[in-house]
Amino acid sequence: MKKKVLSVLLASAMVLSLAACGSQTATAPAADNTAASSDTAAAPAADTAAAETEATASELTDGKFADTRHITVEVYDRGNDGGSDPTNNIYTEYIKNGMLEKHNVEVEFVSVPRWTEVDEINNLLAGGTAPDICVTYSYPTIKTYADMGGVLDLRPLIDGYKADLPHLWDWLGETNLYWDSDPVDGTTWAVEAKLANMNRVNTFIRKDWLDKLGLKEPTTKEEFHDVLVAFKDNASELLGADASKMIPYSVSYDVGWRAATLIESFIDPKISDKEYYVNGFDDRKLTQNGTKEAVKLLNQWYNEGLMWNDFAIYGSGDTTEDDMMKAGYVGAFSHNWDYPFRNGDDSIQANLKRLVGEDAKYIAIDPFEDKNGGHNKFLAGPIDRKVFFPSTNDEPLASMLYLDFISDPETIQYLQLGDEGVTCNKLDDGGYEIIAATGDAIQNSGMNIDYTITCNGLHLTSQDLTDKTLAHTYAGIDPEDVLNADKVAKTDTRVGINVKAGDIEAEGGVGDTLSAKRDQVYDTAMSASTADFDSVWDEGIADYLGAGGQAIIDERTAAWEKVYSGDSVE
Amino acid sequence: MAGKNAVAKPPKQKLNKAYIKRYWQLYALLLLPMVYLFVFKYVPMEYVIIAFKKYSIVERNVFKLPWAKNHGMEYFIKAFSNRDFINALRNTIVLNLLDLVIGFPIPIIFALILNELRFKMFKKTVQTIAYMPHFLSWVIIYGLTLQLFTPTDGLVNMAIKAMGGDPIPFLNDAKHWVGTYIGLGVWQSFGWNSIIYLAAIAGISPELYEAASVDGAGRFQKMWHITLPGIKPTIVVLLIMALGNIIGSGFDRPFALQNNLVMKNAEVIATYVYKAGIKGLQFSLTTAIGLFQSVINVFFLLGANWLSRKMGERGIW
Repeated sequence: MKKKVLSVLLASAMVLSLAACGSQTATAPAADNTAASSDTAAAPAADTAAAETEATASELTDGKFADTRHITVEVYDRGNDGGSDPTNNIYTEYIKNGMLEKHNVEVEFVSVPRWTEVDEINNLLAGGTAPDICVTYSYPTIKTYADMGGVLDLRPLIDGYKADLPHLWDWLGETNLYWDSDPVDGTTWAVEAKLANMNRVNTFIRKDWLDKLGLKEPTTKEEFHDVLVAFKDNASELLGADASKMIPYSVSYDVGWRAATLIESFIDPKISDKEYYVNGFDDRKLTQNGTKEAVKLLNQWYNEGLMWNDFAIYGSGDTTEDDMMKAGYVGAFSHNWDYPFRNGDDSIQANLKRLVGEDAKYIAIDPFEDKNGGHNKFLAGPIDRKVFFPSTNDEPLASMLYLDFISDPETIQYLQLGDEGVTCNKLDDGGYEIIAATGDAIQNSGMNIDYTITCNGLHLTSQDLTDKTLAHTYAGIDPEDVLNADKVAKTDTRVGINVKAGDIEAEGGVGDTLSAKRDQVYDTAMSASTADFDSVWDEGIADYLGAGGQAIIDERTAAWEKVYSGDSVE
Repeated sequence: MAGKNAVAKPPKQKLNKAYIKRYWQLYALLLLPMVYLFVFKYVPMEYVIIAFKKYSIVERNVFKLPWAKNHGMEYFIKAFSNRDFINALRNTIVLNLLDLVIGFPIPIIFALILNELRFKMFKKTVQTIAYMPHFLSWVIIYGLTLQLFTPTDGLVNMAIKAMGGDPIPFLNDAKHWVGTYIGLGVWQSFGWNSIIYLAAIAGISPELYEAASVDGAGRFQKMWHITLPGIKPTIVVLLIMALGNIIGSGFDRPFALQNNLVMKNAEVIATYVYKAGIKGLQFSLTTAIGLFQSVINVFFLLGANWLSRKMGERGIW
């Protein structure tokens, strides 16, 4: 009897679970269907966006939707120690309230890890779950998806809703809005954020070490090398018991970016626009003339024991290198122009002061002379991140209004400065200084650039205010150091040009493969033995070119020659 | 196994109401795993067709996609003319063979040694400690590896330097890396893999050992003539399974351990498919590679099974 009851029980449990299973499998395809239909609905919506513009007036009343709309927006998560929640803090509240009040649009933030953003956004796009407004530094990623029909053409939206987007047009203007437009049919897969401050990479050196050894700031590669050797030779004086931990000069993962100023110093400052463009697919300049010599020099320093041996083993986003700088083991390094000043209380500079001593600090220097004796630095165009809408975005107008709202000088100023007394203090001359904030008021990124997705760099409501504030935007950092770093980064610069030679077909789908190969070439060549350097470099370059690099160079050459007659864009 | 015997018992013509009435619960129990297999293993297989088509993320119905060039074989041709893929294929085979040659015998030897231990407490402790690493994820193991084996700051290399030696590039030299990869793999899994052998050993009748002792056999002779033959079927089955996976590989182990300096030896098919396929968006290409990989694996599985039956073992069918 007992057995029978048990088996009946078991059987009914079975049936129940099967039924549950059945209903699950039944709903799954249904969900798929709706996803598919919303996709197909979105695509024609983009096509007819231009036609829809006549209806704009009826859709918005005083810039507001009649019914509340909902959009999702990507925001970088930097995973800072003790940072605020990037999707929920006082700044996101400000944006959410502002958008709801002004346009009746609900905003939801979706966080994407900053240091693996390209991978992450790829996964989201491939899964059809990307936010309505996406941001990335990788245009090739956008292009690849656009070719598959996964991205909305923004041109009809930019032009059609122009009247509703005054701030966006004021701030980005034709230059940035049309930067990626196809020269033939005008399709625009992304708008380029504006780089208010175009500074790129600086080299920093320990001022207190220079003083201790009675050395002056190096201004040439040779002097720089001598200083590094002096650091190494005097390690026990500078670091005492920790002498073995000394790293005279550090350039870590993504060597092409980190050593940018060194690489650029080997490139002809008068390089023609054509040559620069033809070899310009890789913004780390792997295939430019001169890069090999630069890496050879790094390789030489590496083999002299002047650089960090283990750099290639730690991936991007790893904090080991930063920690060594903070602990005071690193004599010099090259990185983003303001790198040691970033992050308020947790900045490299602040840690150094705490852990090593009052006078310990990094200052920016300009040691890599070019062949003319200047300090050649190539800037990109005035462009920064690329903002695009995936085709799963069914609120293109609400999303455009978001871009307009986020480009409003008032919004930018609030996001950059925060509340007075909390994140900033008013100075006597009318400018502001940023102070270290706590809790929800912490800005995870310097000046909140992760929220000001159309703007990178300080941009306040007036130029005068911006100028007065710039040196005071890094909490706890001596304004003189900031001004000096800014000055160095702006010395002998050449601004990038926007070559409108159309799409290069060979660039589609290979961006990731080529970037990975490029990093392998840089890393293996830099750490090769001196005897092997040439063969390692040549082998790596051959592999890079064979995997698609050469096809891009050839197609770029052909495209240039079709559009421009000479070697220059003018 | 039990199910099979139950089916075999009643004569064929009697496979009727009485039988069904008696055993229907067993079949009902079998239904759920079957449904699971069908829904999650067989239904997704239709997407293999992507390998022969020009894939787009926007078209959700794969059957509507256009066929790839060269009678649908475009992506297979592309894969085999791609040096990165050939390199990944080579690395996969080399690393898996090394894993097999080095990693396969170690759990057997470990189980044999453990079996000879007579002090229960010690045996249990050793066994537990040996299979603990199995529960660590590869990301954590890589974290430990960094602490131990990096050239300048790794504990092991610091010790070597303190004793006056030159640091060993465990992680940053392609050849040394292979050793590190294999070594960590063995370290992580030998304890766990020995469980199944220990279970098989426990199943050997103690009478055999007693009889051998009476005949004057020593420890090694007993090990050689009783224990090893006793677990031979288990060894063969596991060997067949291992051979069936010879060009497959886990993803997380190579992915966690690789870095830019060793990529020429470290890129395996699984990581290549992730990078070129998911990150590089070449879904058709990587589906083709995945299909190729599965077909080869099936051949190895069948071949190994056939061979073992030829040699008088049971095989897995």
